[in-house]
Amino acid sequence: MIKVLNISKSFENNEVLKDISFEVEKGDVIAVLGSSGSGKTTLLRCINFLEKADGGILEFDGKEYDLKNISNKDIADIRKKTAFVFQNFNLFLNKTAIENVMEGLIIARKMDKKAAENKALECLEKVGMIDRKDYYPSQLSGGQQQRVAIARALATDPEIIYFDEPTSALDPELINEVLMVMKKLANEGMTMIVVTHEMNFAKNVSNKVILIENGIIVEENSSKEFFGNPKEERTKEFISSVYNQGNV
Amino acid sequence: MEFFNSRIWGILVDSFMKILIPGIQVTVPLTVLSFALAFVISVVAAVIQYADIKPLKSFIRFYIWIIRGTPLLVQLYIFFFGLPSIGIKMDAFPCAVLVFGINEGAYMAESVRAALESVPKGQLEAGYCVGMNYYQIMMRIVLPQAMRTAFPSLSNSFISLLKGTSLAATITVTDLFRAAQIINGRVYEPMALYCEAALIYLIFCTVLTWLQGIIEKKLNSYGGVK
Repeated sequence: MIKVLNISKSFENNEVLKDISFEVEKGDVIAVLGSSGSGKTTLLRCINFLEKADGGILEFDGKEYDLKNISNKDIADIRKKTAFVFQNFNLFLNKTAIENVMEGLIIARKMDKKAAENKALECLEKVGMIDRKDYYPSQLSGGQQQRVAIARALATDPEIIYFDEPTSALDPELINEVLMVMKKLANEGMTMIVVTHEMNFAKNVSNKVILIENGIIVEENSSKEFFGNPKEERTKEFISSVYNQGNV
Repeated sequence: MEFFNSRIWGILVDSFMKILIPGIQVTVPLTVLSFALAFVISVVAAVIQYADIKPLKSFIRFYIWIIRGTPLLVQLYIFFFGLPSIGIKMDAFPCAVLVFGINEGAYMAESVRAALESVPKGQLEAGYCVGMNYYQIMMRIVLPQAMRTAFPSLSNSFISLLKGTSLAATITVTDLFRAAQIINGRVYEPMALYCEAALIYLIFCTVLTWLQGIIEKKLNSYGGVK
């Protein structure tokens, strides 16, 4: 469904992504792991054009796009088929939960208001936020905001949802409610790329894992193999260091 | 008290409506129209700077530089007394609206720009990611939030504009202040009459401050966006 070829990106003299390539198939749930500063968030932002890549090719639904010279129209077309969930939610602060979900339907896709409302209610129901539909973001907890953000992502029937560290800004006790929703989506067959630090999610929910370090892919593997029988020495170190985090 | 004799009291009572009515009929519309013009100018100028529209941006910086760097009274004189000599004639009232609008617009543009920049970048990114274009995001997400942030400083501008319109008296607009000047010319009681004019300005500003409080409360009650 999606192919990324040789994507590269530098910030000034700092090469963040070095010719990264990978493939996503329909129904994949790919966990992208790596320590902070490894480039994993930049990767996600580049394939949704929130950052402009310096080079590389994106194949989306059989069409090829040059990431460096892509037109605004192509960007808009691709974005209508994708959705993005941010680390710090980025709900529209001047809109209620349900308005947040409806905005992309009514404004960007010119959907009829009644139909958009029904769709929004359905999505809020799915993330368990229907009883808070008229609350403003400032009146919701982080976990609730993130669930509304996921509903907003779902509402546009995207072919793929990108998650950029969706639980990293949450208090520990709020992480689970978001992960449960994501797990539900994964089980329903939603295609997802999830940049995360949640090892349990990577291990138990995703089917593929990509480990990035210093802008290159260290290992790309099925999640079973990645955790059970990693190919790379570096992967073993990474896994053990993450799992030993708590044991000071 | 010697000062408050019955003659002065009579003048004050007699002139109150004569000052208040031009206040309502001239000062208030002058303020509202100037503010409306200033508001349009400030939003356009701020958005041009925020969106970084290159050639226009330098023009806006130039405009703000000129307006903030020269006195309002001088600008008023240039427009009313200066322009006719190069063939541009305007009535006093529209001339005052134009000058006050252009002047206050430059200051408000800075408030609106600061408010726009205070809207988190993530709001724009989220808008793009749900498929909206720049214009839609500006109109529906960024500007409404910026307006809420800018509201107190725009109210401030409104109040200072209201008082600033007293300068229009110098270009023959018969506003609140000029009405007081005219009566003073007849009875010569400057202390009493100018204090009375001040009192009427104070009443107007008090009403505005009260309105500002109510509106701010309303803006906060839905959502409390900070």
